[in-house]
Amino acid sequence: MTAEPKIAIRNLYKIFGPEPEVALEYVKRGVGKADLLEKHGHVLGLKDINVDIRHGEITVIMGLSGSGKSTLIRHLNRLIEPTAGEVRVDDQDVLAFNEDQLRELRRTQMSMVFQKFALLPHRTVLENAGMAMDVRGKRVREFEAAARKWLTRVGLEGNENQYPHQLSGGMQQRVGIARALVSNSPIMLMDEAFSALDPLIRSDMQDLLLELQAELKKTIVFITHDLDEALKLADHLVILKDGEVVQQGDPQHILLNPGDPYIVDFIADINRARVLRVRSVMRKMNGGAAGDYAGDLNERDNLESVLARSGGDTRLVYRVVRGDDTVGELAMTDLTRALVPTNAASAPAERL
Amino acid sequence: MATYQSAFNALGLKDWCAGDGGGNAPMSMAQLLAKNSGDKVADTSLWDLPFPSLDALHKACPAWPQSRELTKGLEHAFLNVKDSLSLVLDPITQPLSWCLDGALYVMQNTPWWIVIPVLMAVVFLVTKSWKLVGLVAASILLLAFIDYYTYAMQTLAIIFVCAFLCVLLGVPIGIAMARSDLLQRLLIPVLDMLQTLPPFVYLIPLIFLFSVTESKLYGIAIILYAIVPVVRLTNLGIRLVDKEVIEAADAFGMTERQKLYKVQIPLALPNIMAGVNQTIMMSLAMVVIASLVSAPGLGVLVLKGIRNLELGVGLVSGLGIVILAVILDRVTKASLARINAAQKA
Repeated sequence: MTAEPKIAIRNLYKIFGPEPEVALEYVKRGVGKADLLEKHGHVLGLKDINVDIRHGEITVIMGLSGSGKSTLIRHLNRLIEPTAGEVRVDDQDVLAFNEDQLRELRRTQMSMVFQKFALLPHRTVLENAGMAMDVRGKRVREFEAAARKWLTRVGLEGNENQYPHQLSGGMQQRVGIARALVSNSPIMLMDEAFSALDPLIRSDMQDLLLELQAELKKTIVFITHDLDEALKLADHLVILKDGEVVQQGDPQHILLNPGDPYIVDFIADINRARVLRVRSVMRKMNGGAAGDYAGDLNERDNLESVLARSGGDTRLVYRVVRGDDTVGELAMTDLTRALVPTNAASAPAERL
Repeated sequence: MATYQSAFNALGLKDWCAGDGGGNAPMSMAQLLAKNSGDKVADTSLWDLPFPSLDALHKACPAWPQSRELTKGLEHAFLNVKDSLSLVLDPITQPLSWCLDGALYVMQNTPWWIVIPVLMAVVFLVTKSWKLVGLVAASILLLAFIDYYTYAMQTLAIIFVCAFLCVLLGVPIGIAMARSDLLQRLLIPVLDMLQTLPPFVYLIPLIFLFSVTESKLYGIAIILYAIVPVVRLTNLGIRLVDKEVIEAADAFGMTERQKLYKVQIPLALPNIMAGVNQTIMMSLAMVVIASLVSAPGLGVLVLKGIRNLELGVGLVSGLGIVILAVILDRVTKASLARINAAQKA
């Protein structure tokens, strides 16, 4: 799995303004975002981004508005041209592509899901779902079967002949996802795909995406400003702030070892018990007998379910399994320690 | 003598003024009067200081051109280029004459019992509303019953041809404008001018360029006047297409042409149709004025009503125009509403 990344972003810079090349030199010499805007009239969009997006994983890029996450995702299919840097897809330099190659990449390699759905209002749901095929010159009857299949898969059976405005927001985004799936591209770019939906629908859609991903193993790049969403979906989490990557890696690892005060602030409000999983806080087996354990836990269980199971008894120790193998053990005391918020944990240490 | 003479003297232009004695322009009435009454305007007070206009300066210095020489010069300039201009414009615009004459011929020579059902069918096709078909049928039958059928059909024929050509030319111009900011900057003043110029003013240079007996004369006047809304609203409509949808089209690899036909034009259609509606209404307004230059139809009757002070004829033909306006407006609005209903975003 650790072979070539599907998409590699190397030293990517994006500066908005009349003379980005000149401004780039200033940025490389260490001029900050605020100074660049004030003294040189350029906006620093992205600064020295290096991200590997691995095949078959959900890479979540998270940041607040203005952090450059939407700019970053648009570099992957070159809806925005970078000022400097490299974007490689399957080890091919996307920035060296001519117009035809780029169109081919967009048609066959990448599909995109948008925050505001961006469906064609004058086409039926079926025609919208088949948009990628239509672009490739296929007729409706040629893509109808595939479109119906995916529409059914996302739960829109029977809506094929309706128009987008007749559907609710959640259903429209299901069409957006079906559209991306019908294109049969290995990479899916999702730009705040669920941010416009209300919380319950959003949670449903996240489950749908995870379910589809378990089956299809696509390479998904997901943009969000919602930490809970990021932690739920991410295999690899990239946190952006002011156009720079502040930390990236396994989301559980970031949660337990935040590398920046910005991230500490960020994770202060989340429900750690619901997000942290057993595998992140367990330790190696120290060879106890089967009788010492209160029971078996799946490594993917979250801590909330373990708490519920233990009934709050901190003396218990559980055995952790992956499938049929035993991979470690979890003492409830460790679990309790993992739930201590990061800033609260560091505060008493400073006092000592 | 005149107020500004001292100014000319001070600039050392006295000889130039006197030399070219202003003999080439005929004397104006004011000059004649001044000559008869003698030079009584010895020194004017500051209160009576005239604005240094062309005529005032001419008084002080006869070599200075008068304002009527400006309008005269314009006229001469136009007359000089007129021949070469009509040499180019005549063949280009000739098809317009054929279209208009053809449409008028067909409308007048097809029997009424074919024309009226065909019109009904067209109305039903674009509106899918029996109520409107009924309205149009009642209106046309009424006009036919009071013997205004031929005039009404002439007017309709001219409007159909001109509005069709407006759309044919205006939509591509609007699309080009939407794609190029430079073209938009250049064309907007032209469109503003076409829209604000009084309709009669179009007719004056056209009369010089083309013979009054040719139908393209009024055809051009109507098209120039009525093309503006369809150009403007096409431009606006395409520029207003949701940026996200355009982005989606790009992200799925649409070519420029696919984007235009599959996304931009369909999404701009409600605006384009609103422009078509305006264009049709404006050609109706212009077709009445164009009867001054031999456009046939209800406008001729209105003109007759004014010229001969035939109150009844004027009023009834005016009513006929109102009826045509109402049915054209209702029919285009109904088809616009159908498009809107199909895609309210």
